[in-house]
Amino acid sequence: MSDKELTFTPVIGIEIHIQLKTKSKIFCTCSADYTNDEPNSHICPVCMGLPGSLPVLNRAVVQQGMLAGLALNCSIVSPTLFFRKSYYYPDLPKGFQTTQSDLPIAASGWLMISDDAGSPKKVRINRLHLEEDVGKLHHSASDGRLEGAETSWVDYNRSGLPLAEIVSEPDISSAREAVEYVTALRRRVRYAGASDVDLEKGMMRFDANVSMKCSDGRWGRKVEVKNMNSFRALERAIEFEIKRQIKVMREGGEVLQETRHWNDAKEVTRASRVKEFYRKFIVEPDLPPMVVTPEWIERVKATLPEMPDQKMARYVKELGLTEVDASVLTDSRDVAEYFEACIACGANPVRAGNWIRTEILRFMGERQVGAGDVPVKPEALAELVRSVDDGNLSTTAAKTVFEAMLEGLPFAEAVKKSGAVTGGLDADALAKVVSEILAGNADVIEEIKSGKDTKGKKMKFLQGLVMRETKGQARPDEVSAAIEASLKS
Amino acid sequence: MRLHELNVREIAAGVRARKFSAVEVFDDCLDRSVACEGKVAALITTTVDVGRSQARRIDERLSKGEDPGPLAGVPVVLKDNMCTRGVRTTAGSRILGDWAPPYDATVWRLLQEAGAVLLGKANMDEFAMGNTTSTSAFGPTANPWDLTRVPGGSSGGSAAVVSAGYVPFSLGSDTGGSIRQPASYCGICGLKPTYGMVSRYGLIAYGSSLDQIGPFTRNVEDMALVMGILARQDPRDSTSTCGTRGECFSKLSDGMKGKRVALVRDFKEFTLDQGIAEAMKKTIAALESAGAEMVEVSLPTVGRYAVACYYAIAASEAHTNLARFDGVRYGYTVDSSTGLKDMFQEVRSFGFGGEVKSRIIAGTCLTEPVRSEQYYVAATRVRTLIAREFSEAFQNADCILQPVTPSLAPKIGEADEDAMKGYESDLYTLPVNMAGLPGYSFFTGHYDAGLGLPVGLQLVGPRWSDGELLNMGFALEKALGAPVIAKAGL
Ligand SMILES: [Zn+2]
Repeated sequence: MSDKELTFTPVIGIEIHIQLKTKSKIFCTCSADYTNDEPNSHICPVCMGLPGSLPVLNRAVVQQGMLAGLALNCSIVSPTLFFRKSYYYPDLPKGFQTTQSDLPIAASGWLMISDDAGSPKKVRINRLHLEEDVGKLHHSASDGRLEGAETSWVDYNRSGLPLAEIVSEPDISSAREAVEYVTALRRRVRYAGASDVDLEKGMMRFDANVSMKCSDGRWGRKVEVKNMNSFRALERAIEFEIKRQIKVMREGGEVLQETRHWNDAKEVTRASRVKEFYRKFIVEPDLPPMVVTPEWIERVKATLPEMPDQKMARYVKELGLTEVDASVLTDSRDVAEYFEACIACGANPVRAGNWIRTEILRFMGERQVGAGDVPVKPEALAELVRSVDDGNLSTTAAKTVFEAMLEGLPFAEAVKKSGAVTGGLDADALAKVVSEILAGNADVIEEIKSGKDTKGKKMKFLQGLVMRETKGQARPDEVSAAIEASLKS
Repeated sequence: MRLHELNVREIAAGVRARKFSAVEVFDDCLDRSVACEGKVAALITTTVDVGRSQARRIDERLSKGEDPGPLAGVPVVLKDNMCTRGVRTTAGSRILGDWAPPYDATVWRLLQEAGAVLLGKANMDEFAMGNTTSTSAFGPTANPWDLTRVPGGSSGGSAAVVSAGYVPFSLGSDTGGSIRQPASYCGICGLKPTYGMVSRYGLIAYGSSLDQIGPFTRNVEDMALVMGILARQDPRDSTSTCGTRGECFSKLSDGMKGKRVALVRDFKEFTLDQGIAEAMKKTIAALESAGAEMVEVSLPTVGRYAVACYYAIAASEAHTNLARFDGVRYGYTVDSSTGLKDMFQEVRSFGFGGEVKSRIIAGTCLTEPVRSEQYYVAATRVRTLIAREFSEAFQNADCILQPVTPSLAPKIGEADEDAMKGYESDLYTLPVNMAGLPGYSFFTGHYDAGLGLPVGLQLVGPRWSDGELLNMGFALEKALGAPVIAKAGL
């Protein structure tokens, strides 16, 4: 058998750290939001691990952890424990990290993705456990790395931020699947409200375990690739590692079991030069076993919203939306909620969906705001859509009304301000306008009558003129009826 | 009578009634401590300025008609592993250097709110690891009854200051007997409360699941008074589960009628010094004449495995508790330009003393992934059995009477020679911490002919029976007499 006939199947598991959304840190009352604040300005004896300080578990962290776990189809485990994971590093104030380790609050979950052939595929989730973040090191070297740095500073603002580590089973077979898995996971976690998962703020970080199965029966060893903090980095790192490992195995070499770091600038993985710290665990004696009552679990379950994929299926099935529309509308929870509020006020789902897809999302994109910050409230948009549907407002007029509503005006005032009139024109007034327009466009009428207007474009042109003249007050169906009637007479 | 000879109650009452001022009390206690320190060496830090200004403030508040609290103007010494804001706290170690904590331990906050004033921080075995107060980086403390002997440990400094009359009460911490044993060697009262009764927030940890803070006093009423202030649930300590149980200290009664006091059958085979055996006899007689019934209980697992399991758990927790001393943020540090590993190594090699290093190494080995199941995890399982054995014993008895140690205070330097002997002598104290029980060490008199050393014994009860133990202690104190102040070589 020649080398070229060998095939390789990647076996990939992913560990994801997400920062849970809470006001304060996991074991103290320091604020969890330190964006743009001075280094070491959000610290106290507890998160600094000063001698004598003791951790007190923040219940909100447990709640958010359960929420994330439930969003990933996990079951909740109780009671569970915290452990001390020991190793030395300057960013680790206590000399150990407090973590749930092998007795996590949530376990045995799954997510559906589509595999590379487009078929549905289940990725199993081993567990979700809670832990504290460590501090952050800033090195004086020009590339910001430890090597070559003369001085390093530690910022403990991050120390004690609440994290959830989510560990998948090795069910992933390609870089593309990996990205689909983390995308789906991110969307669900954000939907649940458990985390903002803002990648730019470092709220989501990835490690990947990559190994190779060869068609000749050889198994490569597991390589842990660390240090990815974007979808792109994750994808590139896995692609790089797959290629590298295939090359080693093709050449008859052995893939070493090691930890490699992803260098984002050079787009390569490098064997970690820092020897892995020897890690070990004892029970955290300062925290009693963590008990979550069945009632608490039920209360958290009740706050879990409908998940995006379920929503999407429902929009297609019950509301008659296309899959593409449904997917756009369910991409983030606030837009979906906006949409649902709109149809709850009686708007036609397809039309409301169109308005949101085009106008609302455009506005959100331009201003970089969420759906909750759009000045047009769902009830107002619903009124607009209904008016168009009832024929009380033309599409053209609706656009100008919408613009006025974007300035924060309620529907009625927006209508007044834009000069649009609702309620249509009476038949006499309409007939008057139609006859005026037709009189001024004799050439067009000639063409229509001679049968050249096969596509109805000329007819549309005339209708448009009438609509403009009536400032959109006329009902489009009445306009076309009036024109046709005039032409026949 | 000089002011430093008064007890807690008498000082607080006198200050509040303005018979004498808080500053007068403080200065008299300070004088006594200065006079004795050359011989006893019980303090690492004397807080002259802090204490006197606190005393002055108490006097000012009184002159305005305010009530400064039940401990108004009472001087106190804290073991130097309790954080005191702005006052250096060393835990008896070089590695903390001149570290002044930016916060107060909960116990110190409660005492301040009750009107107590700080006289100093007591010497202790480094990080509370030891039986003699000789492992302190600041040198050994002497027993005020015999300056050639140890005061016990690790809270030896805290016991010595009360025994020698520097202050009427002090706080110590007890991980495996570190309050009860020095109280017994120094002839005073010491209580190791139920685990969870007193907040550990601000106590520099040794073995977190075993550590508990408790007071030293010269009589049982003062003990109840101080415990009534310290026994509070603390939201900063998740293992503080006191609730409203602190109310058990509000009233002492000495009704012993029908109380069943147990002796441990399995411990009979261990030999006791003559003085301690005599003290047992005398105490049993006193209990019986007060109406108590003597019974026997059996603690076979405790007798066989408690000491080994205790050291496994204490060392495992200790090595993680001490990992934070790395020279990065506070305390002793060195130039880090040769790299991180060098820095950690140098800081810890120089900063820690021998006893601490040996326990860190033990803890590191016992929790290694391959050995953890066999040692650390196994020890925690035995611990559960020990707790169960005790609670079965308490089905048939209200409390257990037993020695604190099998022998009297050894000579300074003597105890360090045979480490294993030191470990064996812990049999009467360690299991109490493993089960989270309260243990009250009380004074029975001076026995050992010629030496004049005091002898203490202890009462051990079920969890949360602290108040009940003090009630029995009250009856015993009436029969056997209360502790007296030692001459301390003067
Ligand atoms: Zn904090």
